[in-house]
Amino acid sequence: MTNPTTLADRAHEKPPFYRDATIVKWIIQVAVLALVLFSLFFLASEAGDNLRASNVPTDFNFLDVDPGIKVSEGIDTDPDTGGRALWVGMVNTIRMSIAGIAAATVLGVIIGLARLSSNWTVNKVGSIYIETIRNVPLLVQIYIWAAVLASLSSVNLDQGPIHGWVHLSNKGLSLPRVFISDGFYQWLVVMIFGALVARWVHKRQTAIHDATGHDTYPIGSGGGVLVVFAAIGWFVHPVFGFVGGWLDQVAELIDGTPEFGLQLVLSALFVGAAVLWIRSFLNQRRTPAGPAQLSDDDWFRMIFAGIGAGIGVFVVLIMWPGLSSWMINSSRDLFEVLGAKFGDGRDGAPFDAMRPNVVKPGNFANYGPNGLNLTIGFAAVFFGVVLYTAAFIGEIVRGGILAIPKGQTEAAAAVGLRRSTQLRMVILPQAIRIILPPVGNQYLNLAKNTSLAIAVGYSDLVQVGQTIGNQTGKPLPVFAIWMLFYLAVSLTISVVVNFFNVRLKIVER
Amino acid sequence: MSEESGVALESATEDDIDDQPMLKPEEPSLPPGEWVQKNLFSSVFNSVLTILTIVVMAFAVRGLLNYIFSEERVWSAPATNARLILTFAYPESQYARVWVTVGLLAVLAGTSIGLWAQWAGVSAKKLCFWSMNLGSGILLAIVLTQPGVHRDAAGEVLRDADSAVLRKSFATAMSDRLVWWIVGLAFIGAGLLAWNWLGEMRRRTIRVPSSALIFGSLGLIILSLWIVNYGHYAFSDGEFIAISGRTVASTTKQPWTVMWLILVGSFFLGRRISQSQRAVSVKGLMNLAWLLSPFIIYWVILRDPSIDYSHVWTTDLPIFLAFAIGGGAILWLLSYPGIGEAGRLAGVGLVVVAIFQFAAAFTGWYPMLQKARISFVVLALVGLAASNFSGERSQRVRFVGVWVVLMALLHYFATVMNSPATVDVVSENFTGGLTVTLFVTALTLMISFPLGVVLALGRTSSLPIFRIMSTAYIESIRGVPLITILFFFSNILPLFLPDGMDIAEFAAIILGYSLFSAAYLAENVRGGLQAIRRGQYEAADALGLTSPQRTSFIVLPQALRISIPPLVGQVIGTFKETSLIAIIGGFDLLRIGNQVIPAQTQFLGIKRENLLIVAAMYWLITFAISKYSMRLERRLGVGER
Amino acid sequence: MSFSDAHSPISDDLASRRDMIVCDNVNKWYGDFQALKDVSATIKEQEVVVVLGPSGSGKSTWIRCINRLEVHQKGMIAVDGVELSNDLRNIEKIRSEVGMVFQQFNLFPHLTVIDNITLAPRWVRKLPKSDADARARALLDRVGIPEQADKYPGQLSGGQQQRVAIARALAMEPNVMLFDEPTSALDPEMIKEVLDVMKGLAESGMTMMVVTHEMGFAREVADRIIFMEEGEIVEVGTPEHFFTDPTEDRTKLFLSQIL
Ligand SMILES: Nc1ncnc2c1ncn2[C@@H]1O[C@H](COP(=O)(O)OP(=O)(O)O)[C@@H](O)[C@H]1O
Ligand SMILES: [Mg+2]
Repeated sequence: MTNPTTLADRAHEKPPFYRDATIVKWIIQVAVLALVLFSLFFLASEAGDNLRASNVPTDFNFLDVDPGIKVSEGIDTDPDTGGRALWVGMVNTIRMSIAGIAAATVLGVIIGLARLSSNWTVNKVGSIYIETIRNVPLLVQIYIWAAVLASLSSVNLDQGPIHGWVHLSNKGLSLPRVFISDGFYQWLVVMIFGALVARWVHKRQTAIHDATGHDTYPIGSGGGVLVVFAAIGWFVHPVFGFVGGWLDQVAELIDGTPEFGLQLVLSALFVGAAVLWIRSFLNQRRTPAGPAQLSDDDWFRMIFAGIGAGIGVFVVLIMWPGLSSWMINSSRDLFEVLGAKFGDGRDGAPFDAMRPNVVKPGNFANYGPNGLNLTIGFAAVFFGVVLYTAAFIGEIVRGGILAIPKGQTEAAAAVGLRRSTQLRMVILPQAIRIILPPVGNQYLNLAKNTSLAIAVGYSDLVQVGQTIGNQTGKPLPVFAIWMLFYLAVSLTISVVVNFFNVRLKIVER
Repeated sequence: MSEESGVALESATEDDIDDQPMLKPEEPSLPPGEWVQKNLFSSVFNSVLTILTIVVMAFAVRGLLNYIFSEERVWSAPATNARLILTFAYPESQYARVWVTVGLLAVLAGTSIGLWAQWAGVSAKKLCFWSMNLGSGILLAIVLTQPGVHRDAAGEVLRDADSAVLRKSFATAMSDRLVWWIVGLAFIGAGLLAWNWLGEMRRRTIRVPSSALIFGSLGLIILSLWIVNYGHYAFSDGEFIAISGRTVASTTKQPWTVMWLILVGSFFLGRRISQSQRAVSVKGLMNLAWLLSPFIIYWVILRDPSIDYSHVWTTDLPIFLAFAIGGGAILWLLSYPGIGEAGRLAGVGLVVVAIFQFAAAFTGWYPMLQKARISFVVLALVGLAASNFSGERSQRVRFVGVWVVLMALLHYFATVMNSPATVDVVSENFTGGLTVTLFVTALTLMISFPLGVVLALGRTSSLPIFRIMSTAYIESIRGVPLITILFFFSNILPLFLPDGMDIAEFAAIILGYSLFSAAYLAENVRGGLQAIRRGQYEAADALGLTSPQRTSFIVLPQALRISIPPLVGQVIGTFKETSLIAIIGGFDLLRIGNQVIPAQTQFLGIKRENLLIVAAMYWLITFAISKYSMRLERRLGVGER
Repeated sequence: MSFSDAHSPISDDLASRRDMIVCDNVNKWYGDFQALKDVSATIKEQEVVVVLGPSGSGKSTWIRCINRLEVHQKGMIAVDGVELSNDLRNIEKIRSEVGMVFQQFNLFPHLTVIDNITLAPRWVRKLPKSDADARARALLDRVGIPEQADKYPGQLSGGQQQRVAIARALAMEPNVMLFDEPTSALDPEMIKEVLDVMKGLAESGMTMMVVTHEMGFAREVADRIIFMEEGEIVEVGTPEHFFTDPTEDRTKLFLSQIL
């Protein structure tokens, strides 16, 4: 019926656009994208109008002016700029997250092991713990802790100066404080060298172990090198005072950079990224038989990559020309600040420590600035997130270990490994690979949950930001800062967890 | 509602297995001596561990019991404010509305349980054990509890053994204890007796239907309202009432008794229906009723909008009719089986027009109500997919019918939401307490579910722009804490809205929760989508199904079924997360316990008691859902085909 | 490119029939790896072609290209005079005119047997439900399992599932049926029931392209056998020619290993 020859000719006929699978696909995508962008644009323009009408500023000026607030605890309780106040909040969030993650991990593993125990009572206690904690909202638990701690008024601060290392009262907990002192940055330079040497030693010892089979303790010797450097650096660090001069020179160099130059460099980066991507894309599509076989779909992808780069260039050059000068100024400032940490008068120890003290400026006594003062708020949030997260980690640990087939234990026993060695060498390495990703997720949750601190007045980023936002009437920029900070925290945690995950996988092979 | 339909699918084949034994074999039980030996004292280390744990636990439980029964505790604070905790300051004169709501839910719940439940029942053996355990628990608690500290009227602790007050107080304490001794022993005795009796009759494996157990224990609790002297604590017309030594107020026990009767009555009704021919259609109706109930209850019953009828006649109704009739006609045409490419072209045309009319909104070309604009976009999207769902006449009728219902709901709720409430509730236009907690949970889940499914499809799509958009959305939402999103929606969102458009704080909060929850939901659904084998897609393609058809008939039904366990987890998560309303200024369950009650002059600063009661309420609900999800998981695992 | 050359001895009867599947120098790459190399073949109406070849030789890839489950990058494929291109109309047409049966059955586990079969007729062919049901029951009768209509796939044996899959493909009333190792996932005792259904189908005059390792079926049912290796068509011929007197060394080697 059909003549094959004419069919072959027809192969080059293009269907009309509304029937072309590729084009229809892209039309739909672009249409939906347009709808979404239009909606966002619509809302944003309305917001712009409303904000102008109601005189709500959207700029970031508040970062540089006195916020007029005090922060209840942290590295600086009376910050002189809004930016500084937010920075105090960020440090508090990070501090809470790190402390919480460490404690929750320990408690979580203990609970997981309890749930695996063959001992009935231990097992039951573990499961009661999990079922109780997991099913009550974290915020309720934090409030309960805060209420319980607030009723703890056993210690009277009026009784004169306190002695000792630890002090607990309804004002909170005061611990000895270790802090960075004069010589820290110079000492840090020594430690960078130390880390390089330690790394080299570690590698060398490993190589020797592999080659000869002798015990060479690579980790121990690497750690030893670090300790030695730390100790020596404690005394010799003033030698590195000259680094300050270098940093100042870098700052000058940055200051001399023309704005337009940086704009060009940034644009070139965008364009370069797009070109590189397209090149690797073309390489992927290349077949041995000849040049790349590109479908229409591929063309569209490349065009959109180009559009993306174009948007980047547009932002840098036209939409936000201030960006480059901001980048220049802030990196110059960074180097200047760093430079000032070196050189004259910085011969002291890198660290210093102080014990808790009590002051009584007015009618009420309170912990003085010497100690590391943890408020009731800190304790409530800390107990809350740690106990809560530990319940989830416990379940994950239990699930991970149960997921290892029984045959593994039996095989390990069959080759004569002792029970502890079985656990250490066979079960745990496998279980950890199952456990780590969900536990990483729990770490993320913990970091995000610390934001509930606002409920009990612990000055984390959200609490400080909310106060500043209300004070200055600039909720929008504060919201942007929150977003960026938490995205950075999430990213950091997932990168760290991923790093260990990959490492473990390689070790296992 | 996904799990609802999942259950429906299974119960179509098995009808009533209430009295059938579970598929899981029961653990072979050891004699008590061996059990103790094996589980508690298998080695020296284990023995030490056991004893240590028991001692520590005994002290902990003792501390807790003393804390709870200490006379310093003001349990009358939550008791007096029970109404506040449940509904916040809902006006007393309008309370009938609350009872109508509870009654409706009782009808729905009872009927659904009757229709769907396939509980395995509890074996008599287990019941005996429960009874004995409960009895021993009570005895243990009495032994561990201290006989309390006694104070005189001035609040000084009494130490003098001759004090008449102390003697009297001690005597009361002892008689209370005696009652509990008797109760504990009675439970143990009943368990033992039943155990022996059933053993003689060789009927220990006989099963008691779970429904009887649940309704029975609910009934017992309600009966106790009539008998036990819980005391009458309340605020009535602002007046503080505290009468101990009598039963609760009749305005409490009478309605709850009626509710229990309604619940049980509708259970039997559901049972009847499930055995009749109409079971399937009634089940469909029940699903729809559940789906609509939160909206109707919230906006129609609890809020009673005062609708501006002149506006309805002149604006709302005409717009609705235009879209229902005009849109329906367009969809009728587009779903004509033979329409082919013309349909596709018309669909694309509709979308283009929709984009333009949407874009015109902010160029100010022509004024148009937001409702109409949004309806137009919905129409265009439905129209684009219309040809995929065309078919015989009845199919097209159903298609257009669904459209009309969708429009009706959309326009109805848009109108109702923008009308002021008739029921005047303190601050804002929503109630509070447990009510608001439950409503936020329900509405959030209903709104975020479709959104989450769409996002999951986008993220797994082969179309790069969709994938990038969905991924960016999901990841940025998941990267930030919920509280910041809620702040955004309660503080910042109002700034974004055009003039004349207002959003109630309640709606803003729900929007915030929904958009947040959708990102997590999407990840759960994505898990299900990824579990579907490639062969399923290929088979659908090879049959000539279009990709919307492939998604809705093949991929989603399977993916959602796989995702049921994590989705139930998400329900629990959302329920717990509603407690954050307390931070952003709503009067939810938690806020009332933590701030409202401690601010009352009678209970100034009383926090811990309320918080513990609130925690217990959260715990009960969450624990119930998670137990249910475990059962569901097990059954899905067993029923794996 | 001339198309008239007969790749193989085709009987006069066959030559006069119309072309059902035409492949002209079809090439396909997976990245650097070339899975199909200049594959050309013409399959006539009512012809039964069996494709043989070692594992990984590109049989599945080819057969899936014909249904556009895979997209070929060079060359031309036409089914019943419709060329496979980016044209949505053609893709829809070919998908609903070519039935496909997979090695792993790929039945939809959440639908009953009858729903599996009626899904596509109802939503693609837009048949009323009653007609689709009637047709499905007739087909189930034809593949020998009328009593299983209301069960779920998971409740059936492998052989029954594959027969449902065949019925599902036939429900679209295709002009061509493609089979990709339909019996490879089956226990030996179930293979025959599926092959019998396929034989019946061949006798009824269906155009079929079958990838299989069942030599008995190839010998008995095939009009032509195509032998592939490393993405190329090595030899084409009638079963007689192929099994008794193959020309190519590679074919001989393959046959010596398999027989
Ligand atoms: N999706 C794919 N990506 C990369 N290589 C593939 C893919 N599918 C098949 N191949 C390769 O193409 C070759 C042909 O595969 P296939 O057609 O399945 O062979 P056959 O069906 O003859 O066993 C094999 O070498 C296989 O590894
Ligand atoms: Mg194959």
